[in-house]
Amino acid sequence: MRKKLLSAILSTMMVASLFAGCGQSGSSSSSTSADGVEEITWMFWDDLNATEDLISLGYKDVIDRFNADYEGQYHVNVVTTNLEEYYAKLNALVAAGDTPDVFIVSPGPNLTDYVEPGVAAPLDDYLAQDGWKDTFTSDAVFTQQTYDGKIYAVPLNTAAACCFYNTEMFEDAGVEVPTNWDEMLTACDKLQSAGYTPITISAGTAWCLSMVAGYLCEEEGVDLAALADGSASWEDGKLESAATKLVELSKYFQPTAAGDTNDVATANFYNEEAAILIQGSWAIAQINGSNPDFESKCGVFQFPGCDRLIAKSDSLAMSSTTEHPEACAALMKYFTDDTAQKYTAEVGGKIPVTNVEYDASKAPAQLAYVMDVFQNAKGTFGFYNESMPTTETGSHFDDTMVSVFLGEITPAEAATDMEEYYKANCR
Amino acid sequence: MDKLLRNKKAIFIFMAPAFILFTFVLFIPICQSIYYSFCDYNALTPPKFIGLENYKNLLQDKTLVIALKNSLFFLIFSCVTQLIMGLFLAALLTNIDKGRNVFKNIIYLPCVLSSAALGLLWMFIFSPKLGINQLLAKLGIEGPLWLMDINGFIILPMWVIAFVALWQYVGQSMMLYMAQISGISKSLYEASYIDGCNKVKSFRYITLPLIRPMVATAMSLNAIGSLKFFDLIFNMTEGGPNHKTEVLATHLYQQGFKYFKYGYASAIGVLLLILCLLVTAFINKVVKTEQYEM
Amino acid sequence: MKKISIPKIIIYIFLVLMAVLYLAPLLWVFNVSFKTNAEIFTAPFALPQAPTFENFTFAWTAGKLGIATLNSFLVCVITLALSMIIGSMAAFGIARLRWKFAKLSLTYFLLGMMIPVHCVMIPLFTRFAKVHLTNSLIGLVLPYLTFALPVTIFIMVGFFEGMPNELIESACIDGATIYQIFFRVCLPLGKTGLFVTGLMTFIANWNELLLAMVFISDDLKKTLPVSLSKFVGPYNTNYSQMFAAIIIAIVPTIIVYCAFSNQIVDGLTAGAVKG
Repeated sequence: MRKKLLSAILSTMMVASLFAGCGQSGSSSSSTSADGVEEITWMFWDDLNATEDLISLGYKDVIDRFNADYEGQYHVNVVTTNLEEYYAKLNALVAAGDTPDVFIVSPGPNLTDYVEPGVAAPLDDYLAQDGWKDTFTSDAVFTQQTYDGKIYAVPLNTAAACCFYNTEMFEDAGVEVPTNWDEMLTACDKLQSAGYTPITISAGTAWCLSMVAGYLCEEEGVDLAALADGSASWEDGKLESAATKLVELSKYFQPTAAGDTNDVATANFYNEEAAILIQGSWAIAQINGSNPDFESKCGVFQFPGCDRLIAKSDSLAMSSTTEHPEACAALMKYFTDDTAQKYTAEVGGKIPVTNVEYDASKAPAQLAYVMDVFQNAKGTFGFYNESMPTTETGSHFDDTMVSVFLGEITPAEAATDMEEYYKANCR
Repeated sequence: MDKLLRNKKAIFIFMAPAFILFTFVLFIPICQSIYYSFCDYNALTPPKFIGLENYKNLLQDKTLVIALKNSLFFLIFSCVTQLIMGLFLAALLTNIDKGRNVFKNIIYLPCVLSSAALGLLWMFIFSPKLGINQLLAKLGIEGPLWLMDINGFIILPMWVIAFVALWQYVGQSMMLYMAQISGISKSLYEASYIDGCNKVKSFRYITLPLIRPMVATAMSLNAIGSLKFFDLIFNMTEGGPNHKTEVLATHLYQQGFKYFKYGYASAIGVLLLILCLLVTAFINKVVKTEQYEM
Repeated sequence: MKKISIPKIIIYIFLVLMAVLYLAPLLWVFNVSFKTNAEIFTAPFALPQAPTFENFTFAWTAGKLGIATLNSFLVCVITLALSMIIGSMAAFGIARLRWKFAKLSLTYFLLGMMIPVHCVMIPLFTRFAKVHLTNSLIGLVLPYLTFALPVTIFIMVGFFEGMPNELIESACIDGATIYQIFFRVCLPLGKTGLFVTGLMTFIANWNELLLAMVFISDDLKKTLPVSLSKFVGPYNTNYSQMFAAIIIAIVPTIIVYCAFSNQIVDGLTAGAVKG
């Protein structure tokens, strides 16, 4: 018995040491292999093989192209997790001194977390090379990535939050596209009396509801910068009236809005159970992918009464400790070159960040509408929860809006709550 | 025999592997984590010692109060129900002959599956658009918002999650009890039947006292498990709406990995550790009074 | 034939109801895995209109489930074997050997059960990165093994303490060494306990996500739960494919479990009665 046991232990030890060997050779940190190929790591929050997300699939093409074009010189290794564990892993890698050379990050407080301790490197020098920066549509695309005049991340595409609507239902109910708040309410009213659910939205996924709240705050003229430095107060009545409008609008939501997740709310729209979906333009791929017949019936309008658009961009940051900055810059350039940006528009359905010419007829029908809305808008602003001092503050705003919607607190209480939170944590 | 059992070399050989592994892989990181609880640390910059600041913040954290309340509810609910249901099922299953293994396997099945997958599944089932509310609607009943209702001291979503947890983990307790019951000598039961005991009485006077140490073990496992409870809640509600279903472990995760307040998360971890210690000490005092020879 | 008594019937009716409660949700997953994503949202309970195996083939190839299953299997089996040996040895040392710090050392091990994995992950990761144990399967085995030890020790102490003293005494008189007592007398008697703890260890590790996700970067070393999470995208989730992957992931576990548990537990109950 003992001999058997001993041999069992020994053999497992052997297997184990075998794995240890593998582990060392395949270490993910950047290195230069024997044949002079510079290895870099790119970290992303979606698996490139299992995904059906068109934008992620586009990134896979970029990586493949890069590895093929630079064969023998550079090689990029892809490290992916899902979004839920992404920052846990990224932070663990940073803590271990093994920061991935290039990594995706959300602009706003998330990027700030990496810029302030010097994890992300400034990119101005690289952007200045070979006129890279001039290929972008304008300097404005870098607004959210700029700290003290330096750019710390490269945006890859822009998604705008719009109102998608079912043109058939609008026609049937005799509704015109609303352009201001009162028209919006009338339109919803008409849709409801025609027997349709006017709006589908998810309060189960808090940021979806909060996005609408963000637009309503914008309408009321809430100034986040002033609120953060203390020169304005949340209790000045603006948030209260925005929250009141949210409650007003909520009677047109689908009855299950409180429990529906983002996926369910979007499915309600493309399965033609509701007339309006307020969502980011990344939803286009999901809508067309799930119900291809719906593309021709789907229209887009700007959130009524707002001049500016909520926009969000995927951004790439570069590790400040990378041993191969040139390789990293070359990789980032591939993400914004014409092929990649053309794909972004024609297949991915997001707005390109460069002045690329693309074939509008190939792009999803909705993208043209979104582009119209985008060009007519007077500017953009970030997601509310990504424009506040910290990620936690953003989540607090989301939660407060859900509480208002659920009727747990009144709009006035929400304003008091936000003011108290800012006093305690943000100023 | 005493000499044999006091053999220093033997004690060393039996204890050393576990001791060395545990100390290096787990105990040192635990100590490190306790140190972080006195620091301002976000994993991106080196930790900065700030004394008791994190613990002072614990006292003012409104979400922590909710999390603590929910965790304690969970603790009590799961200890009581797991004990009753686990014992009941174990007693039932040891008393039937046909199909014992089939039923045992079926009830143990959810333990085999990942909580993450099951959480997702139950989220679907309690989702108002997709799940049982649609079935109820066919019967003309308007189902409640299972996972979003916020009324009451212990809100409905917590009850829902507690029942799902019972559903998932009762197999574990049942198996532990069954393993212990199967070790009880049959002759004891036969003797009791001759003395005129029926099945219920023999359960009361033979089975219960003899598995008492296992009750303490299973209950401690339950208690610690329910205080550390994470997967189901994270996948069913993510602590929402507005932190109403937050428990200590989910709060810890959010603070540590969503907001990068790693020092503060460590302080919550220390609180959790202390709670676990208190509860296990309590259970062992109350349940494990004396041991019987079998 | 014996007459079937009324309490027996009630018991069986109750058990069948329980079985339905346990199987229905799993059947639902099975049902859903044959549907398309859009269908899940329109008719979640209906049978699939046009059952499709595509979900399974896609999940298998895109999720690299084959290699993931192999990785999970290796990690879990090695962990299982080591934790049963090391854990029950320590449990025997605590429960049966006579030394001053036996009780104290049990408390020491129990500490490991009480701290959530999230708390120790960053220290563990930085430590492992220094010795190049991240991104390797052995780097997963070590923490899994160590996390399994406290539970194994805790339960096995209970089993060893419950064993009759006379057994050890008689073995002593026969001139057995302490190692022989452990391996020949106590361990065989504690098999039921070993089986239960082994099962708990195996399952906990088979489903562990966070450590595996953070520690392993290489696609070819990923374990099953990590592969399952691949179907959760940043904006939406491929439910039908994920459920198909879940089915693929659990079928082998269930088969292995059923095959083993019936044999082992039946054998044990028969053996234990004599003891």
